[in-house]
Amino acid sequence: MIFLLLIYALIFIINVPGLVKKKEWRELTFFSILYIIAFTLGLLYVLDVHIPSPMKGLQYLIVDILGIKYQQ
Amino acid sequence: MNIEKGKITGQQLLFLIAGFVQGSVLLIDFTVGITEHQTWMVILVGLAVSTPFFLSYVMLAKRFAGMNLVQINDMVYGRFLGKVVSLYYIFFFLLTLSFNIRDVGELYITFLMPDTPFVLLLVVFTATCAYAVSKGIEVLARVSHLFVFIGIFVIISTFPLLLDQMDFSNFLPFFELPFGKIFQGVHIVSSVPFGETVVFLAIMGSLNNTEHVIKRTYSGLLIGAATLLIVAVRNIAVLGKTQTIWTSMSFQSIRLIDIGTILTRLDFLVGIAQTVLIFLKCSLFFYALAVSLSQLFGLKSYLPLILPLAGIEVVIAATVFQSPVDHAMITQNAGIIYSIPLMFVIPLLSLLIAKIRGLPKFERGKGT
Repeated sequence: MIFLLLIYALIFIINVPGLVKKKEWRELTFFSILYIIAFTLGLLYVLDVHIPSPMKGLQYLIVDILGIKYQQ
Repeated sequence: MNIEKGKITGQQLLFLIAGFVQGSVLLIDFTVGITEHQTWMVILVGLAVSTPFFLSYVMLAKRFAGMNLVQINDMVYGRFLGKVVSLYYIFFFLLTLSFNIRDVGELYITFLMPDTPFVLLLVVFTATCAYAVSKGIEVLARVSHLFVFIGIFVIISTFPLLLDQMDFSNFLPFFELPFGKIFQGVHIVSSVPFGETVVFLAIMGSLNNTEHVIKRTYSGLLIGAATLLIVAVRNIAVLGKTQTIWTSMSFQSIRLIDIGTILTRLDFLVGIAQTVLIFLKCSLFFYALAVSLSQLFGLKSYLPLILPLAGIEVVIAATVFQSPVDHAMITQNAGIIYSIPLMFVIPLLSLLIAKIRGLPKFERGKGT
């Protein structure tokens, strides 16, 4: 948990001051969105909360619902 | 406006493609479980099947010189549909990158550093890729030939040392497997090492000169394919029927090298070569992901997105599969099926639409 906070604090320090200084607000907005997503995912992982796998979802959609698969 | 200012040469692109395909050497293991001793045939057929599609990527990039994937999609399909197609590609880059990062983690945890926490390996590797991507495509292109030579050196230098262990009757009987298995094997090979070269649509816009680009890119693909073929032949000849029971055939066959009890345990060479080559492959995927996403969002630079994307990739890589077996099972079905349109349909369709509509000359004439 401490490592996660340290890493994300470091990412914030590396990126945000430069973007604010150059007044790149669009870049800052999209950075913030991805930053929040990344931090939330990291936090859930550290807290051992189950994160659904996108591949499992695709597998369910393609194999189970659409029935497209190779015979084993 | 193109987001990347750096330029690469045709020769550098050749090595980038060769290294990229070589980076998938361990992934032919997905095919081996299905096609067993006929894997070498599947690689050759996969190369033949992939060739027209690969050439369509190159011709598309040549036609839209100086443009990246998102710009091409916007121009061919219009602003809305183009963005949807680009999002599909971005999703593919995001997932494929996480699989490859996971491959490195699995490689280390299984063979080289079993006591190290899995997520730590992922973090360190992703951070290294993020650093490389932050330096731009030019830097990666400049060192790509070194990576390719390391890969070739390891394969060429270990092959003769295994000659005494090789049994070429392991290749028999030919044409034993049912057509369904061969077809699935060809699909895996034409998707995983060869079809993934679609990522170069996001990179070829940085070419400084599109002259001889088809010859150079295809030479790169052939170098990569030759490497895969040599490795497959070596593994079949050395391991025979037993190759399907190992987690990594390359590691297992190199471990059998024993020259007078002095030259042993050379599997670390495979570890080094694979780390370097998967690093190149992951960096290229990471670069394509960051550039495409920034272009989609209309940003001036892709640099601010690199570290948050790295954070997302680590978590996806750590959670996307439960085990190497799960990884192989899903890749052999859903993993290769969901990417069919973006590898085999959309590039050809884009080329056809561009020809019919006379793009991009028509658009340039309008001053856009």
